[in-house]
Amino acid sequence: MNRKIVLIVLLLVFPLIARADSQWVLDKCTLTYHVDHPLHHVEGVSSAARGKGVCQAGECQFLIAVPVKSFNSDDSNRDLHMLQITRGAMYPMVVVRTEVPESALNSSTIHANLQIQFAGQTADYKDVPFQLTRSGKDVHLTGTIPAKCTDFKIDPPKLLTMPIKNDIPVIVDAVWSPS
Amino acid sequence: MKLAPVSLQFHAVLVILCLFVCVPAQAQSPSAVLAGTVTSQSGTGIAKAAVTIKNMTTGQSTTATTNSTGFFSATNLAAGTYEVSASADGFTVDTEHITLAAGETQHVKFSLIPPLSLSNLGFAPSQTQGNAQEQARLNKRSHMLQMHQRLGLITLVPLVATVVSGGFAGGHSTSSADRDFHAALGSTTAGLYFATAYYAIFAPKIPGTKTEGAIKWHKALAWVHGPGMILTPILGAMAFDQKSKGEKVHGIAQAHGAVAIVTAAAYGAAILSVSINPQTKHHLASIFEFHHSHRSHAALGDEAFLGE
Repeated sequence: MNRKIVLIVLLLVFPLIARADSQWVLDKCTLTYHVDHPLHHVEGVSSAARGKGVCQAGECQFLIAVPVKSFNSDDSNRDLHMLQITRGAMYPMVVVRTEVPESALNSSTIHANLQIQFAGQTADYKDVPFQLTRSGKDVHLTGTIPAKCTDFKIDPPKLLTMPIKNDIPVIVDAVWSPS
Repeated sequence: MKLAPVSLQFHAVLVILCLFVCVPAQAQSPSAVLAGTVTSQSGTGIAKAAVTIKNMTTGQSTTATTNSTGFFSATNLAAGTYEVSASADGFTVDTEHITLAAGETQHVKFSLIPPLSLSNLGFAPSQTQGNAQEQARLNKRSHMLQMHQRLGLITLVPLVATVVSGGFAGGHSTSSADRDFHAALGSTTAGLYFATAYYAIFAPKIPGTKTEGAIKWHKALAWVHGPGMILTPILGAMAFDQKSKGEKVHGIAQAHGAVAIVTAAAYGAAILSVSINPQTKHHLASIFEFHHSHRSHAALGDEAFLGE
């Protein structure tokens, strides 16, 4: 009789049990911003990003954050100027949020809607394409975020009175692992 | 009447069946009912969570709010497919698609999760909190270095003019007017130079910053043109004095021209070190290597040549 009760309860309650969640953690990540000036092409690289993803009911939310001061362009003076102009001491983190369907993690390309907080501003980027490749359980993600100075109200810095271009694309190369 | 243990179990089954099965017994009713709970991941009911039930056919929405235990119910729903979303302050939205048959009662359970935050990523608060003082220091530093840059470029004009006019200020056939003009240009250059230097020297330092890149060469060259810019006017004044007395320039004053050239060259190189496109430098480097193939690349030192 007891076993029957358990069976009935399980059968009735099963559909009501909360769906299983899965979580992802950012294993490796390189973010590279590109700045163009008539006299310079500058790349700043950071490998200090951290990220986490939580999937529930077929939807995954991801959060990636990286300290602004972790970007290195091989020139300390330029990096400090970048930190100043992006208000990096007041807003020390670049925070990226996105939500994607869990099923998209199995495809080779996803188009993500990104919400990026940077320099005290929030900008939304729609349908940013990322390429995904599976390596065992890990997912390798690459893509470019088409960021612009004006998106974050950053006054384009000048060298020899010439400002940099408004486009500051950020190349993302990240490996996500299930946790 | 005392119930036997078997009867107790039977009653338990009945109660559970009533909870989950008896509700559909209302199937005679033409309208459907959607009930359920909204809880946090720990299973605690979330009070005052908003549940939006949108009929996908008509587009009409019905809303319900959870009670103190996280329970909600919506009655008088027409049969059809619904998009049901639950949301609460401090939690992410969870959405379900449900098909209700006429007279049916369905239960749905939402388990909301809080949005991921920086604390989930293990960043220390000191890393994520803004520092107004630090920003003010950065702002002042950048402002002063911008002034340094502008004045530095302006200084270049009288500097070049001084060097060029120097060619007419020396020698036997020069007039005092030429020398005066050269001295005036030199004084202007020196004045602007020291104003330029002031903005670099007194720009706030940012603790914990290691000097890297082209700025290293820019700073190193200052140890050449800085003393040179002090020495050149002194030697120039001595030469000026000797010439004014009708003497031939002699002693250490003879070094005025050479010191001035080295100083001007170092100054120009300091500007170029932070101005030239690294790609251009690489291009120049490759040309240099082509013409000096007998010198090994390693011996030359790419960075030394590139000034980075």
